[in-house]
Amino acid sequence: MVNGYAAASLQDALDIRAAHRVVPYSGGTDLMVENRPDVTYLFLNKIVELKQIAVDADYVRIGAGVTFTQALADSRVPQLMKDAVSRIAAPAIRNAGTFGGNLGNGSAKADSVLIEFVADAKLRLLSVRGERIVNVDQFYLGRKKLDLADDELIAEILLPRNGLEQYFYQKVGGRNALAISRVAFAGVFSAEDGKITKIAAAFGAVADTVLRFRDLEGMLLGKSLEEARALKGEYLKAYSDKMVLTRGRVSAEYRKTVCMNLLNEFLTRFGI
Amino acid sequence: MDAIRFFLNGKEESYEGSASDRLLDVLRDTYRTTSVKCGCKEGECGACSVLMDGVLVNSCCVAMGAAEGASIVTMEGFRDTKRYAVLDQAFAEVSAVQCGFCIPGMVLAAEALLGQNAHPTEEEIREGLSGNLCRCTGYNAIVNAVSIAAKEGNGLW
Amino acid sequence: MEKISQSVVKKDHEPKMSGHSVYVGDYSGDGVLFGKMLRSKLARAKLLRVELPSLPEGYYYVDKNDVTGDNNVNIVLDDTPVYARDTVEYIGEPIGMVVGPDEKVVDRLLAEIKVSYEELEPVLDLRKADTVFFDYEYQKGVLKQAFAEADQVYQEEFMTGYQDQTYLEPQGMMAEPEENGHMYVHGSMQCAYYVHGAVMRALGCGPGEVHILQDVTGGGFGGKEAFPSILGCQVAVAAKKANAPVRCIFNRREDLEFTSKRHPSLCTYRVAVKNGRVTAMDIDVKFNAGAYTTLTPVVLQRGIICASGVYNIENLHVHGCALKTNTTPSGAYRGFGAPQTFFAVEMMMNHIAQDQGVDSLQFKEAHLVKQGDATSTSGKYHFPVPLPAMIDEIDQACDLRRKHLEYQKPQTGRYRKGIGMSVWFHGAGFTGSGERDHIKAVCKLHKYPDGTVEILASNGEIGQGLRTTFPKIVAYELNLPLEKVYYDHPDTARVPDSGPTVASRSLMIVGELLRRAAIKLRTQWRDGEDQIVEEHFREPDFMIPFYLDKFQGDAYPTYAWGVGAIEVEVDTYTGTSKILGAYGSFDVGTPIDYNIVIGQMEGGYLQGIGYASIEHMDYDSKGRIRNNSFSDYLIPTTKDVPNLKCMLHVEKYPEGPYGAKGAGELPLVGVPGAYVEAVEQAIGHGAKLNHAPFTAEDTLRVMMKEAE
Repeated sequence: MVNGYAAASLQDALDIRAAHRVVPYSGGTDLMVENRPDVTYLFLNKIVELKQIAVDADYVRIGAGVTFTQALADSRVPQLMKDAVSRIAAPAIRNAGTFGGNLGNGSAKADSVLIEFVADAKLRLLSVRGERIVNVDQFYLGRKKLDLADDELIAEILLPRNGLEQYFYQKVGGRNALAISRVAFAGVFSAEDGKITKIAAAFGAVADTVLRFRDLEGMLLGKSLEEARALKGEYLKAYSDKMVLTRGRVSAEYRKTVCMNLLNEFLTRFGI
Repeated sequence: MDAIRFFLNGKEESYEGSASDRLLDVLRDTYRTTSVKCGCKEGECGACSVLMDGVLVNSCCVAMGAAEGASIVTMEGFRDTKRYAVLDQAFAEVSAVQCGFCIPGMVLAAEALLGQNAHPTEEEIREGLSGNLCRCTGYNAIVNAVSIAAKEGNGLW
Repeated sequence: MEKISQSVVKKDHEPKMSGHSVYVGDYSGDGVLFGKMLRSKLARAKLLRVELPSLPEGYYYVDKNDVTGDNNVNIVLDDTPVYARDTVEYIGEPIGMVVGPDEKVVDRLLAEIKVSYEELEPVLDLRKADTVFFDYEYQKGVLKQAFAEADQVYQEEFMTGYQDQTYLEPQGMMAEPEENGHMYVHGSMQCAYYVHGAVMRALGCGPGEVHILQDVTGGGFGGKEAFPSILGCQVAVAAKKANAPVRCIFNRREDLEFTSKRHPSLCTYRVAVKNGRVTAMDIDVKFNAGAYTTLTPVVLQRGIICASGVYNIENLHVHGCALKTNTTPSGAYRGFGAPQTFFAVEMMMNHIAQDQGVDSLQFKEAHLVKQGDATSTSGKYHFPVPLPAMIDEIDQACDLRRKHLEYQKPQTGRYRKGIGMSVWFHGAGFTGSGERDHIKAVCKLHKYPDGTVEILASNGEIGQGLRTTFPKIVAYELNLPLEKVYYDHPDTARVPDSGPTVASRSLMIVGELLRRAAIKLRTQWRDGEDQIVEEHFREPDFMIPFYLDKFQGDAYPTYAWGVGAIEVEVDTYTGTSKILGAYGSFDVGTPIDYNIVIGQMEGGYLQGIGYASIEHMDYDSKGRIRNNSFSDYLIPTTKDVPNLKCMLHVEKYPEGPYGAKGAGELPLVGVPGAYVEAVEQAIGHGAKLNHAPFTAEDTLRVMMKEAE
């Protein structure tokens, strides 16, 4: 094709990616809005290997080329992820948009990425040089800056398959459909033998990257519900102090207030 | 370099332009399927919706390189089908067409919805059409029309 | 139901449904040049120099120097230029146009043009604006005494923001020089004769040397009332220079940033209350006109005429002014000044009631005008005012009264409910004697020997169904099947000027002319002959003459009435409001087609909800409109108001066809008051909301203050 490359296989794609200056094109729904001039796309939409969903002992493995519509129809995808991707834009966008593209865009507003953050997902990056597995929160270096080499492609999202059953998710957009997140919250909880084993909270669309504060989560890990309730005020204050947000389409005060309200709601729902 | 081969309303076409050209522009300018409208060029209005391999997409968000080998259906093809006739009758019955600009996209979105769910609830219809903006109707008549089409088209979807 | 009201299949359903309809952007581009604007980057500056790159063969640049006639587009006044004169007055003001066969080359050339400015200080803050475009004032009764004797005097400010029409089809016009030297201009518009007059002047030619065709138009809502005249002149000038067809279609960003929108407003109400009754209102209205006057005088006139709402206020003083700011010129949008003041008066009445300890519904009901009462401009409500019955109908539909009392009690918890009601009117037709003295509408019926009848008028189909309702009226009087009567898109070469497609006048005024013409044709009908009948506008006898200098008399012959109720559930954690139900009762007289009229009510109502809630649009500190894409300027989707119920309450207007009244604008006008009152009630705890749109962010801000 003129001014573009279509990869027939994953290997083909990696070879082209290494040899030429290309922009990987997965679903295209972000790239075509961006409309970069004089761009050469590497079309990945024919690569069957990238469109697989599989399950192993620890992970649900979602190919980077899996569309949101495909994921919504698949019983193996955790409900928390479905809650998030079902609220992306509208059917036509979900039919084309992919997990890889949602990551590759580098935006803190990415609905699937919020879930990957809170779930401790890993990403499998491939190049002709081999494979890298990175934690999703290490993949994001800053606003629209990714730890992705010029010859690398996002191949797979490794989403932990267990421990995502108890969650609270809320997306706040400007309207009920075709809405870009203004604030998005995902919280995951689990407890064993009366002690909290997981209390992850992630905030989307309110900063340069998705926010998650593992050190603050440590305040409640291992505590009983009663102990956690006693620490709640301190815990919330710690979050409030740490979250220094900037203005976006909505004010910093709005972002902050909503984040804190949703964090509080998350704790309350799980007995804290 | 190879041309991009794809099917448009059942006919095989060969596009010799750039792979980064927008499907919307190519459909309108090169192949003159002007039923596909441009409302925003950012995937936010659905006026440019087409069916690509049976799936609803915004053609403004598809680069030609991604359409290689695909089967594209626009109103120019869909309007000859029995399903269209049922939708046509339903939309006419409730006067769901006002200025008409959103309609080609709306109709294809309805077709995509009914193709997956032949008897949708009102909520499911609204969800299926949620990516198609209309400024004239307030949506009630359009949602009503799709509901009527689903009932009348028993067996077609 | 009246026979005329029975719904038919719309006559333009088929081509639009099937995708066959040709909008201006759909014509083949063979031999047609792309036209793109060179726009000002500054809000206010002296235009010093425009340096062009070398233009390839077949590419042209046009600006004020290429205007062969007047460089003025007449829209009431003459200050809008075709292309910028010596200064630029707003970001985006068209300085010139680059035209050529290849769009990418046109874009490249545009990017290479160097414009030199001498930057001047722009005026952007309405409160600090000092150039008054228009200043009007009127009164009745004696205010001084009423305020002196008042038990309470209330004063409050209300603000409304922009609203963009967001017709799905962006602005677009095409100009084609004809072999005989005439200029043919066609495109997306509401008023073919407005464009005709403007293009004639810009080219400096006679009326017969220009003809205008309205193409299939993808929505207007007022946004294509005056603006196409400007764009029409711009493409005509370019086509003349290039001696080739030129087409300019705006992309959505361009349309959102640089075309006319609803005037932002700032209203101050001072109200005297004695013995629990409003005795006087002293109102000040300020509209943000933007950089040029365009339709502002007329918008302001309507806005101040509506300032006291549906209430019988014996002592009234209204002052209104429109101020210049260096921003995109504001213009017509469904409601045309009335939504701004109706919002203010409804919220004012709510707040007074709150302070008086009275339920706002009851408070409003106690002040409603009745048939025979004087209007704000000392005219008369000549016809029945069915508001009490309509309020009852709304109450039955949604349990308004009970819920309004229920939700008034203090609410705690995450979710809170509120229900708001708004009561309003819309006067159809041009203000005062505009129909008689300015428009002087003429329409014709051409009966062909084969017995088919063509309607010749200039009102444009923009989705509201004129291509169906006009033929219905004529077919009904001639006792013909609907297939035998038709109405094509107005072409100024073929049709008389029946006036513009504005002010909700098409059915009420021109429809009535067509009815009379059809009756005339019926009495004169001769089989097998070619016949033409003509009909001219006649002002109704009952009207009290209106004097614009003093705003005295009947501003409108009659009124369409609206009552709206909206129930919301506010999420206090996020500030978002979920609309549980939206209800409207509308008296637009006899519907000429039930489905078409309900479609207008539903469409207008949803636009009103958008205006009240999510359609936030503002400009930044440089004067540039920020919300310039559909992801940033949000209009309602199918999922936002799933429970929208509109009903008709029919009070026939004897001077309208079969009793019809103007309908198009009514359903939008009063909606913001109902929505914002609902949110206010849900928030509770003494909150007093005073602006629209009232967004989730605004809601949360109020909640945060409550928490403090």
